[in-house]
Amino acid sequence: MAGAGGGGNDVQWCFSQVKGAIDDDVAEADIISTVEFNHSGELLATGDKGGRVVIFQQETENKSQSQFRSEYNVYSTFQSHEPEFDYLKSLEIEEKINKIRWLPQKNAAQFLLSTNDKTIKLWKISERDKRPEGYNLKEEDGRYRDAATITTLRVPVFRPMDLMVEASPRRVFANAHTYHINSISVNSDNETYLSADDLRINLWHLEITDRSFNIVDIKPANMEELTEVITAAEFHPHQCNTFVYSSSKGTIRLCDMRASALCDKHSKLFEEPEDPSNRSFFSEIISSISDVKFSHNGRYMMTRDYLSVKIWDLNMENRPVETYQVHEYLRSKLCSLYENDCIFDKFECCWNGNDSVVMTGSYNNFFRMLDRSQRRDVTLEASRESCKPRQVLKPRRVCAGGKRKKDEISVDSLDFNKKILHTAWHPQENIIAVATTNNLYIFQEKVN
Amino acid sequence: MDVEAKRIMALSISKLYSLRTQRGGLRLHRSLLLSMTMRAARDIYHTAQLLRDAEEEQVVPCAPDAATEEPMEITKDSPQTLTPKEVAMKPQEPIDAVEDDKENRCASERHSRKRHCKTAIEPDFLPLKKAKMDTDEEKQHLPGEVLRTNNGNSYRQAESLTAFPANRAIVAY
Repeated sequence: MAGAGGGGNDVQWCFSQVKGAIDDDVAEADIISTVEFNHSGELLATGDKGGRVVIFQQETENKSQSQFRSEYNVYSTFQSHEPEFDYLKSLEIEEKINKIRWLPQKNAAQFLLSTNDKTIKLWKISERDKRPEGYNLKEEDGRYRDAATITTLRVPVFRPMDLMVEASPRRVFANAHTYHINSISVNSDNETYLSADDLRINLWHLEITDRSFNIVDIKPANMEELTEVITAAEFHPHQCNTFVYSSSKGTIRLCDMRASALCDKHSKLFEEPEDPSNRSFFSEIISSISDVKFSHNGRYMMTRDYLSVKIWDLNMENRPVETYQVHEYLRSKLCSLYENDCIFDKFECCWNGNDSVVMTGSYNNFFRMLDRSQRRDVTLEASRESCKPRQVLKPRRVCAGGKRKKDEISVDSLDFNKKILHTAWHPQENIIAVATTNNLYIFQEKVN
Repeated sequence: MDVEAKRIMALSISKLYSLRTQRGGLRLHRSLLLSMTMRAARDIYHTAQLLRDAEEEQVVPCAPDAATEEPMEITKDSPQTLTPKEVAMKPQEPIDAVEDDKENRCASERHSRKRHCKTAIEPDFLPLKKAKMDTDEEKQHLPGEVLRTNNGNSYRQAESLTAFPANRAIVAY
């Protein structure tokens, strides 16, 4: 199986699987709100608005065959968060899973962090395929044996059973956030993690739930002076002292925890001056960064704002090294997108395993593959019409204006209710998971 | 341009209102973005209004105040601090076609004095229970070339807004 060495445009993407209900009537609880591969790529987790987590596992059989088509099947499903009510503030706390982050595997069990707006939970997912049999005092069904009938002593033994996957909450990290949690990120030290809300970032130890350290606080003394909020935060993949956070003003701050306990002063500030010719009522909104992700090699980071993806070199603060337009044809539609609230959509972005291609979603169930090495990009669609096994995805084109060519779709025909906000790329292989509203599509590289 | 500004302002306010009833509590990020957009639109709208009034010299009861008025201060965004008391109502067209009429304009100017007391008054940009009628709206429009600019890639008029050209010559009506 080829590694993730191919560029986005050498790779032909094929449909592999789709998960979720087929009917168009989408239950709100089924709306997928986060997608994440684990560190080996064997497991794929999704979270939804109903507070549930579904984990898929890749089949490991037939891996040696050249026609290897690894399928992901449901491994575990559990209710991670329930709706809560904050009586003090008379507020309902949504159970929607905002983020899932896997911990690197240390033993047979898998661990992940899942968070809603206020509470983070550490879940242990473990397999059980044996059970003890042959107790002295109890029958197999649990009834107690009559003591008079016990004449011999036996040692219980483990016998195989059908595989059972259990998910249990091991830690609950609660009551540390006044505002809504938008990010969690596990540190490379495997002991700590951060959680970020609109105004603060807290540092936790995975073993300690009753206390966390506040490391960033941008709340102004007078809330009327508030001009920006934190939109995303992430730890550096290798340097356990470094993390970044993005803001609603389009800036990214890199902080070094060795510098001081409170990282309000950034070590680096990444900001690109605004193009004055693009100024509009909506400039503020579209410059707000919705996602920030470090590259796997730790040298770059990628940010997503409403219309573009930017790649930043950590050593250069004054401008990104690469900028890709995701759907520039929407720039003239900003007013309508403001009316229907689409302008507030928070798109995520992700890197492939060797950092040569980045991917992000768009509307009409389109998603974009941006090849950094070949400076090419392609638009693909996740749709039920391209669902035949191993069907190759055809590139899509949007006609911004003027004469529409054959096979192009015009901007006005785009369905803005069909948005791809969450995507994930397998850490080693060319396998991607793309979430539409309530379906999860898995695409793989075409293998000849 | 001020037509667009007023529309966006009204839209922003109604969105801010609906945020309060949304499940999950007030979303700080969204409220911030909405209020910034609303303020930008409001500033454009009010400045355009002031300029227009200064030029047109129409006799209205509070006109003298309009000419000497200072620009609106940017205050905390909350519905209570906004905008005028409703004056005598006339039938009004749907919210996205709301235009000025003399009485509303006068009320807007009057409100700037009221704002200092931060009276809780109902904004006139929300879908009103009482209807108002558009009058004289054509006369109030500034010529398009003054404020309406686009950089050529917008097929929608008045979509993009450059910095408000307060010092441009305004054609006297």
